Amino acid sequence: MVTATPPTESRPAPPRDRCVTGIDGLDNILHGGIPKGSMVLLAGAVGTGKTTLSLEFLVRGAEAGERSLFLSVTESSVKLTENLSAFEFFRHDLLEAGSLVIVDLPDMYSRLGLDHEELTTEEIGLLTRSILALVAETGAQRVVLDSLTSVGYRIRREERIRDFMLTLGQGLNRLGCTTLLVSEVASSEGRYSAHGVEEAIVDGVILLGNASRRGDILRVLQVVKMRGTSHSRAQYVMELTPIGLLMAPHLKGNRPEGG
Amino acid sequence: MTEGSEIGERIRSLSPASAVAIRMNPREYADDYFAVLQSALKERGDGEDVHTIYVSVTNPCGLVWSIAQALDVSPDRISFVDAISHTMMNYREPLPNATYVESPRMLETIMLRVEYLLRRHASARPMLIIDSVNSLAIHNPQALLTEFFHILVNNLKSRQVLTLLLIVSEDTVSELDQLVSLIVDETIDVVRPPG
Ligand SMILES: Nc1ncnc2c1ncn2[C@@H]1O[C@H](COP(=O)(O)OP(=O)(O)O)[C@@H](O)[C@H]1O
Ligand SMILES: [Mg+2]
Repeated sequence: MVTATPPTESRPAPPRDRCVTGIDGLDNILHGGIPKGSMVLLAGAVGTGKTTLSLEFLVRGAEAGERSLFLSVTESSVKLTENLSAFEFFRHDLLEAGSLVIVDLPDMYSRLGLDHEELTTEEIGLLTRSILALVAETGAQRVVLDSLTSVGYRIRREERIRDFMLTLGQGLNRLGCTTLLVSEVASSEGRYSAHGVEEAIVDGVILLGNASRRGDILRVLQVVKMRGTSHSRAQYVMELTPIGLLMAPHLKGNRPEGG
Repeated sequence: MTEGSEIGERIRSLSPASAVAIRMNPREYADDYFAVLQSALKERGDGEDVHTIYVSVTNPCGLVWSIAQALDVSPDRISFVDAISHTMMNYREPLPNATYVESPRMLETIMLRVEYLLRRHASARPMLIIDSVNSLAIHNPQALLTEFFHILVNNLKSRQVLTLLLIVSEDTVSELDQLVSLIVDETIDVVRPPG
């Protein structure tokens, strides 16, 4: 609905350096998609739709022939597979064919023997290399880490988080991967990540949230930053449906700026 | 005019990709409303491949659906976006062909449900009915409503969807009439055959 542009069929082909998310509304907001190889922070409070958007991003990619990898800390792969079935366009054979791979990060932690609460610099290096090796092995072109926040809890120190993200980002970019890093923020916070350094490192920030209109709550999405493309900075209202995310402009009426 | 009445004739002959206001007289609301439903849902809605998306803000979709049933409209020919039943606490027996929006103030949600149904019935020739402009105006400030209609109607026009905006008013110079006149291609006054 957002979509002042015509439906998919008649839209001009996007440039080849774009990762077309396959989420119509989002691709329109991003004027064609996320620049390929970008690392994007997907920030929002609990329940704002971060996991759902991430899953659709991967399924749409897998369907379009781009292998996709979901690294999950917060929810088990069993639970996520259940969530996937809510999408009408999801096909189980994507999982069977390895086009869509879901990995429980806690399993990787224990395989690597990373069982301290706080990881050492060496252990962070080991984790980063293992993730990159997995991406290379699966041939993934789309990666989601759900969530950066939970990995961050085990890295703790700001400068180590910065290093982790820089190394991971460079590696993923070299592999041609477009990555979403999920960031859990409290709804009251005016920030996009736990430490505040994260949003400076990434190429893009997509913020999910809630907007209230006289007591009614609407889900909203805003692209705050995206390097390498022009994009709308407006807020859009979003709905999670069995045919995927749908977006419409957030109506302002005569609402004063920022109101 | 015979049987079908003038309003039926007018609605039948509307081209897709147009937005039309249907004006009902408040003093003859019940009769006018029935005439509009008959013309729109039955006479136009029965056309080949037509699928009606009915946005209920005035009357709960349960009531509209019972009238539609009396007119012999098939349930697979019509879907409802009901934005009033929740507010009226009238939500006990949801219809299978209806989706419920929590409040008539959630205009974007109404747009998105319409979008969803349009995609769902992508192969059909869709017709959207908004019932009514007056009820939306009770719950929403005018600037918001103008923006809503502007975005919705232009979007639907570009997609060859016929949009009918039901409005109850007596005089064409009311604020609502003026708002609507900026959006629609034409206004049809309900004229029923005498008797
Ligand atoms: N297809 C869907 N239709 C309606 N609601 C959904 C759908 N998918 C998920 N939800 C709901 O949306 C909410 C947010 O989902 P989620 O993506 O897990 O948020 P987050 O990851 O930001 O915490 C959940 O309450 C979930 O039940
Ligand atoms: Mg989540």
